[in-house]
Amino acid sequence: MTRVFGDPVDVWVSDGRPVRFVWRGRLYTVRRVLEHWVTTRDWWREKQPDGEATGEREFWRVEATPDREIGVYELRHDVAADSWLLSRVWD
Amino acid sequence: MTWPLTAGCFPGYGTDVHIHVASCYSLRYGVAPPAALAERAASLGMQTLALTDRDGLYGAVRHVRSCADAGIGAVVGADLRVASTGEERIVVLAEGRTGWRSLCRLVTAAHAAGERGKPLVTRQMVGAHAEGLVVLLGPASDVGRAITGRRPDVAAARLDAWRATAETVIEIVDHHDRGDGPRAARMLALAREAGVPAVLGNAVRYLEPSDHPVAQVLDVTRRLVPLDRRHLDDRTGHAYLKSVPEMRRVAEWGCGADEADALLAATRRLSERCVLDPGRDLGMDDVHLPFAGADPYARLVARCSDGLARRGLEGSRKAAARLGDELGVIARKGLASYFLTVSDAAALIRSRGIRCAIRGSGAGSLVNHLLGIGDLDPLRHDLVMERFLADSRDGLPDIDLDVESARRLEAYEALFDRFGAESTACVSMMETYRARSALRDVGNAIGLPPLEIDAIAKAFPQIRAGQIRAALDDLPELRQSGLASGRLEVLFRIAERLDGLPRHIAMHPCGVLLSNPTLRDRTPVEQAAVGFPMSQFDKDDVEAMGLLKLDVIGVRMQSAMAHAVAEVARLTGQAIALEDVPRDDPATYALVRTSRTLGCFQIESPGQRELIGRLQPRDLEDLVLDISLFRPGPVNSDMVTPFLEARAGTREPSYPHPDLEPVLRESLGVIVFHEQVLRVLDVMTGCGLSRAEAARRSLNHERGQAVVGAWFRKMALARGYDEASVERVWRMLAAFGAFGFCKAHAASFALPTYQSAWLKRHHTAAFYAGVLTHDPGLYPKRVILDDARHFGVPILPLDVNRSSAGWHAEPVSEGGPAGIRVALSEVKGISDGEVTKIVTARPYASLGDFWRRARVSRPTTERLVLAGGFDAVHDVPRRDLLCRVGALERVSARPAHVMEGQLPLADADGTPSVLVEEIPAGELPPMTPAEVVEAELDILGMDVSRHVITFYDGLLAGLGVVRAADLPGRPAGSEVLVAGVKVATQTPAVRSGQRVIFATLDDATGPVDLTFFESVQDRCAATVFGCWLLVARGRVRRAGARAVSIIADGCWDLNALHEEWRRGGPDAARAAMAAPSPPARPVGRRIVQPTGFAMSPYSDIGHAGPAIKRPPPARLWHSSQGSSGP
Repeated sequence: MTRVFGDPVDVWVSDGRPVRFVWRGRLYTVRRVLEHWVTTRDWWREKQPDGEATGEREFWRVEATPDREIGVYELRHDVAADSWLLSRVWD
Repeated sequence: MTWPLTAGCFPGYGTDVHIHVASCYSLRYGVAPPAALAERAASLGMQTLALTDRDGLYGAVRHVRSCADAGIGAVVGADLRVASTGEERIVVLAEGRTGWRSLCRLVTAAHAAGERGKPLVTRQMVGAHAEGLVVLLGPASDVGRAITGRRPDVAAARLDAWRATAETVIEIVDHHDRGDGPRAARMLALAREAGVPAVLGNAVRYLEPSDHPVAQVLDVTRRLVPLDRRHLDDRTGHAYLKSVPEMRRVAEWGCGADEADALLAATRRLSERCVLDPGRDLGMDDVHLPFAGADPYARLVARCSDGLARRGLEGSRKAAARLGDELGVIARKGLASYFLTVSDAAALIRSRGIRCAIRGSGAGSLVNHLLGIGDLDPLRHDLVMERFLADSRDGLPDIDLDVESARRLEAYEALFDRFGAESTACVSMMETYRARSALRDVGNAIGLPPLEIDAIAKAFPQIRAGQIRAALDDLPELRQSGLASGRLEVLFRIAERLDGLPRHIAMHPCGVLLSNPTLRDRTPVEQAAVGFPMSQFDKDDVEAMGLLKLDVIGVRMQSAMAHAVAEVARLTGQAIALEDVPRDDPATYALVRTSRTLGCFQIESPGQRELIGRLQPRDLEDLVLDISLFRPGPVNSDMVTPFLEARAGTREPSYPHPDLEPVLRESLGVIVFHEQVLRVLDVMTGCGLSRAEAARRSLNHERGQAVVGAWFRKMALARGYDEASVERVWRMLAAFGAFGFCKAHAASFALPTYQSAWLKRHHTAAFYAGVLTHDPGLYPKRVILDDARHFGVPILPLDVNRSSAGWHAEPVSEGGPAGIRVALSEVKGISDGEVTKIVTARPYASLGDFWRRARVSRPTTERLVLAGGFDAVHDVPRRDLLCRVGALERVSARPAHVMEGQLPLADADGTPSVLVEEIPAGELPPMTPAEVVEAELDILGMDVSRHVITFYDGLLAGLGVVRAADLPGRPAGSEVLVAGVKVATQTPAVRSGQRVIFATLDDATGPVDLTFFESVQDRCAATVFGCWLLVARGRVRRAGARAVSIIADGCWDLNALHEEWRRGGPDAARAAMAAPSPPARPVGRRIVQPTGFAMSPYSDIGHAGPAIKRPPPARLWHSSQGSSGP
């Protein structure tokens, strides 16, 4: 079952990849990266795009675990703002 | 400039990773120029870089040269579309000389196979050119598509098929789009399983991540759709030139660390193998001339001595010495077959009866004169050869031939016939994005309404796209437009970034390559729009490739003069050979001195008419001087005024040093010609003319100027010249720079200038017929028409029984003076086929007769009627005739119902017996004179029956407007109002560095030349560029005996004033003129040239607003029905 969230999370990154994150007070360790992809922003739809309309969004679908139970989590990284969200969870 | 994961070498990774790179020469796909890519690759520590543009090798030569400059190895390939159901592509890389030849031939074959502009290869075609090629199969290949579609079996089969065709390599690409990573891993697995090498690519489209919006705009522009994610090829912004560590990380994430190292190593091996040597592999170290047979030098010498005899120079010691010098250079540089080839080409063109003249520095060569390439004797006109041919000049000399523009393609055909289609090709050129085209494409991409896009684009003058936002602030005509409000910020910002990107390949207007049958091994060839084979290389590329480019330039004036000469022969039987006309006819120079030179070659612009008014030319040498003075060089270095003063005798000619008097005597102490620069350098330094020519060429850039300056000072001081003189001379040379004209070029221009003036003076009607038919000048044809009226040449209206394809001269009465007859080809929308049918089937007894036999389309027939083409056939008003066209069409549409095999019934004279509806004459109101002129302007683009301005005579008299004919009588400095139809606007570079607007109005009595300085442009510029009919106020300035111009300080839309006048009389019109205006601001920054002189960034560009060669739609100039004149 998929659940959709938009919760901000704190993420530790090593060699460009997320390795741990904290969600709702619990620490999750990334076991495996299942998928990683990037999209650019729809800069042409934005009312006031900033100077250079770059700033992509990076998605990481990972297997992670707070304890023994493994779940699949999707993390979204806003490159321009350097902020992370937990966007979806499969369990 | 910053980028992440910085420069440096990465031993162990391999340093050569980019084997799949598109530059901006991948039209509407790539973003970065080849030079920028090469520089970036070098600074990232890479040792090679590939360029694999889409569909062609347009950027290949630039890439090879840029890589050489950057000190890295160049790999060249192409990204080609493969015939399939979807969009599939492969990349082919060339290895060595064989590979380059195969690549050129494969690209040529791809263009021959696909439709124009959409080249296509099949696996069989790749197989036929497989020698030396490596095929890369990436995600876009059929193999990659099968992998994406999870059909490893299909992928493996397809891979086998490719391996049987050519050397094949799998290319792994991962742009981090969804699914890219798993696909990369599966592609690698396929390669490993099949035992095919796998390499890493990034399918690069731009330099930096932040360039991706440009690529995205190009994606949708190419597909003619608005921006939306589903139309984008680039959805991730990762198609940039990544550094080696970045590339390694891509491979590692997709394929694991060990495989990443293996991929990088394989990529490096492939890349190093494919590095091309510019000389050995591309043949850039040699010239590739047509095969000229045995011992070309001996034949050249023989033909030159024949030439000496033919030109009557046999006994001349001067000629013999000069010939010896020139032949010496030719022998040392091995150029004999080059001269023989060009001489053959010129003779061939002339043998087809096409007028052909040499232009440019080549006219300074005696060899050219003796071989019959050029008609001017360089010794008589004191022209030097070094400007054209010197040991210090690299590459092939440049010979340009001027031919009749209307027969240029005929000349091309002759050359293709003679040298063989395999050995000949036209040169191409890239049309690039400028402000207007960029605004249109980006406007469409972001979904602005088409009408708004059109209005925005036309509001801009023809500037570079990169100047858009600066121009919005700089130019008064844009400041007042409200475009800079912020709403359109995205449009402007992205449009600016398209600046200079190639958008369309076109045939170069004059370059033809003449080579041997190895040509197709050296350049890919595609078909140009007019059907000629065309190299994908531009003029700089072909020079670098050692190919001989002959410039065959279509000159409209040559066609105009040929037409005039033919008209004289047709009317009077007199055969004129323009080359033999005496070049000292006093009547011709008398005409030139009046400045009434509209239509003449080179001397019809407002600035030139003013200059000849002041210079008062008396002979051909004066025309040579005049043409050369009107150039940025002399203007920048302030040569014009001192020269004119010395010439008028109000000042003694002054020479910067007495030794220079012989060199500068012809131009009274100032420098006008390149040749004088050479001689001045030679006199002061003793370096010889060849070295002087090398020094002159360095003067056009700052660095060169500094080097030459130091050298000049040292040498001249060493020869004993005093410091003050040396400084004075150097300042002159530096200011002149490389801008001027070479005298040889000016002399070859002065001849057609004189010839056109001679025709205007002695065969006036035929001259106008030629000029109106071939439209060589800068003014709309209606101005030439009005000039003809002033010279007493009657304008004969359009007549289906008398007008021919072009304009012709026609005696008004038997033996009387000749008038000129409006041409059928002037009718808007008429096709060449229709013109031919009309001329072949005449005379016509009636409109019905015409309809039946000429068989032209209804819109064309209607336009012929409205423009008066049937006035001489029918005594029926045009509107009634127009109704008959409709009736005729309804009748002739019916025979379709006649049964096959049955003849439609017809009476004796061929009129169908089916009755045409009766249209009673006189029920419709006749056209008013204003409506007649409206129709003429709309259909013919010119006011034939009367001048447009006559409809405003009442208002102009009421305001006290002074007519052009009366202006010379006005005292200098007095304030006047003038009015007329705008016929030209120019913003040439002027000494002050201002953007000065020169506008010319035509008020039915002659041209009025207006000057708008920057101080008045805030209130005038928008009106000047935006309106067709103008009233202007200003002060009279005298320029010579008769010439007068106006320094304007105000201007208004004549129609707006006319509206006010009709509403409230003269007072209302005056009140409208007294309205306050915005404060003045300077127009942009100045660009300071290396020579130290300022220039406006907006000089010499096409004006804002609509084009003015044709009038705007009628309602814009003439909105009110009640204003029709008496």
